[in-house]
Amino acid sequence: MNEVKIMAELDLSPITRIEGHLDFKINVENGVVTDAKAIGALFRGFELILKGRDPLDALVITPRICGVCPTSHNDASARALDNALNASIPENGYLMRSILLGTENLMSHAAHMYVLFGPDLANKKYEGHEAYPELVKRFAPITGTSYKGAVFARIKLDEIFAIFGGKHPHTTFVPGGAPVRPQLNDITRALSIFMQVQDFLENTTLGCSVERWLENKSLKDVVSWLEEDEKHANSDLGLFIRFGTELGFHKLGPGPGNFLSYGVYAQADGKNWLPAGFYDGKHHSLDQSKIEEHIRYSWYTGYEGGRHPSEGVTEPYYEEGEKYTWAKCPRYQGMPVEVGPLARMIIDKDPVVLDLAKEYGPCVYTRVLARLHEAVRLAAKIKEWLLELDPGKPFFGSYDKVSNAEGIGLTEAARGALGHWIKIRNGRIDNYQVITPTAWNVSPKDSNDVHGPIEQAVIGTPVEDENNPIEVQHVIRSYDPCIACTVHVITPKKSYHLKVV
Amino acid sequence: MVNVVWMQGATDNGCLVSFLNAQQPDVYQAIEKLGVEISYQNTINPSSGKDAIETLERFITGKDQLDVLIVEGAIPRGPNGTGMACFIGPRSFAQWVSELAPISEYVLAVGTCAAFGNIPAAEPNPTDATGLQWHKKEFGGFLGKDFRSKAGLPVINISGCPAHPDWVMQTLVAVLLGKKVELDAYNRPNDFFGEDITVHDGCSRNDYFSFKVAAEKFGDKGCLYRNLGCAGPHTNSDCNNRTLWNRQSSLTRCGIPCHGCTNPDFPEAYMPFFQRRREVGDGWKVVPYIIGAGFMKLAKPSRLKNE
Repeated sequence: MNEVKIMAELDLSPITRIEGHLDFKINVENGVVTDAKAIGALFRGFELILKGRDPLDALVITPRICGVCPTSHNDASARALDNALNASIPENGYLMRSILLGTENLMSHAAHMYVLFGPDLANKKYEGHEAYPELVKRFAPITGTSYKGAVFARIKLDEIFAIFGGKHPHTTFVPGGAPVRPQLNDITRALSIFMQVQDFLENTTLGCSVERWLENKSLKDVVSWLEEDEKHANSDLGLFIRFGTELGFHKLGPGPGNFLSYGVYAQADGKNWLPAGFYDGKHHSLDQSKIEEHIRYSWYTGYEGGRHPSEGVTEPYYEEGEKYTWAKCPRYQGMPVEVGPLARMIIDKDPVVLDLAKEYGPCVYTRVLARLHEAVRLAAKIKEWLLELDPGKPFFGSYDKVSNAEGIGLTEAARGALGHWIKIRNGRIDNYQVITPTAWNVSPKDSNDVHGPIEQAVIGTPVEDENNPIEVQHVIRSYDPCIACTVHVITPKKSYHLKVV
Repeated sequence: MVNVVWMQGATDNGCLVSFLNAQQPDVYQAIEKLGVEISYQNTINPSSGKDAIETLERFITGKDQLDVLIVEGAIPRGPNGTGMACFIGPRSFAQWVSELAPISEYVLAVGTCAAFGNIPAAEPNPTDATGLQWHKKEFGGFLGKDFRSKAGLPVINISGCPAHPDWVMQTLVAVLLGKKVELDAYNRPNDFFGEDITVHDGCSRNDYFSFKVAAEKFGDKGCLYRNLGCAGPHTNSDCNNRTLWNRQSSLTRCGIPCHGCTNPDFPEAYMPFFQRRREVGDGWKVVPYIIGAGFMKLAKPSRLKNE
């Protein structure tokens, strides 16, 4: 058997249980993935549609890039306009944006753990494991008890969102703060609904209070937490921590090992709650001028090598040749980088996640735990923000009417770094550019033939059963790709803009 | 057992996210009590790759009977007529739709993209996208004027960006119960989109509208119509009237003007979104309205002010 080289090309199209259209093709030799192509399967053309419009129109159009993480586009478009139109934002305005974005990100994390990633824990590959019956009971799609709990917790988070944002998905942010004028009873109602969400988080996910989990400051603390109480060990998180390594999740999907965060949850003091930065083994500050996009393997034409988004060209060019995806290919300092909760937690120097990353490296196990840990931190923070709102003070400040300006809006969606770049000429949008988180993670090969992060993470993955390549699906889903989002961008000249993947 | 296939084209997934918020019935009750079997839906599908494709092939080859096809997202016909701006596995989305629609008892276009084309089909329409049976206000769209599902009906449109989960669920329940759903001029259920219902109905700012206290800027208490471009009085849906959103609120209640997202000509007809709109709507009697507005302004009670 060992002497025979067994090769197979597997077409995993479509990859389901992610948000949107992603196809994946992999080559498997002797049970290991040797090549991978991530194929973004949708292009819409948002930036082209925005060209020549009123700058404020971007506030309504860009969130419709993605119905899963629209609020990150609300935030990015409002911040780009804050920047371009010299907005002044009262403290309540910052808090309100953080509450809405945080609520959506928490909801996204819950959906990822239970609806998108979790059902794979009930995969038949794990039938022989002692925990299997319990994994099926909790995580099986639709019928799993935790799955069902998460579906209803999500609904509650959307209700909190709607109290302040009017509806989810698709509220509208404005430069200068928030348009809503909540009363005290709106805040108490939101807090009351939040308690119901917290019940799910504490009883099902954690087996302890939010505060107790957040006392953990190292991997050693996490181990003692597991031993402290049977409820901890048998919670969903406890189960994943205990059995994740036995199921081999710590050996899957390392990826490029570079991490990027734009920073998010802007505060009135000018800082972000979670900071911006770049990590390649060392911590560096973020320099957005080091971002470029390549298109050699993407269905676009118009230039060679990489270009900064402010100079970006988006001219669709579909062919059946070397190009294979509607996703463009962003690079930072020429390198593929991972974005998402793991990147945010590393760049924030979160002690638990740094410890995990030191022990296991980036991998499916670390990525899933970093996301859950961030979710718990976020839950605690949302409650603080709600309590800090002051209904007696303004939520909206001001912005100027400006005919010629440029603005940059950087923020973080649940799944990673999101940037909007706007150029305004004669009171109209001259160029609007978006780089989404999934464009970073699901990018194809760049001009130098270097694979994108998820492609890299998939290459080298062992595939036990070619008819059930679940290992590869764990890796892809661990990044929480949101393809609706992988939009792409822009255009300077006349032409096209894209939306992608 | 009722087989439902939910296909997503040029969409942001927002209508699915919205649908999962349904409460009467919720998605679980729909499955358990109404016998809805969601045979294919990309985001919640248990299976991937060829198993997922096989489910769809079983309908196409007639091995299984398809009861309801839900389409979310516009249908791109480009680039260059290939339809490949959106594809699912081996076929373009356009090709999937042309194969699945005629074999389905009922076809529902959920959301303004699937119904009318929405943003993907907005000028300059980079992917030559269109709605299932309408292109904006023009009847025809991707499937053509003559298309009828097996039950003999045109595509039932449930517009909105996103569609409200209640609009989708109540329509689905009505269809499953064999009830005839009355449709409006754009083949949308009259109950939610009829010409006698607007977003303005039930808006918490209606007193401000009546007495002409207009918000000057975001965050003001006044009516959003005159200065901030609210399309509520020109938009047919019951966002403020009965349903609310997420059982809590609505855009206008939160200080955000209605953008007209359920209308066939959304978004182009409502851009620029935040600018002063013509004061008088379609079918309004101009002179009496303006005279009346002047009197109402004089009659304004002192409690109504922007701050």
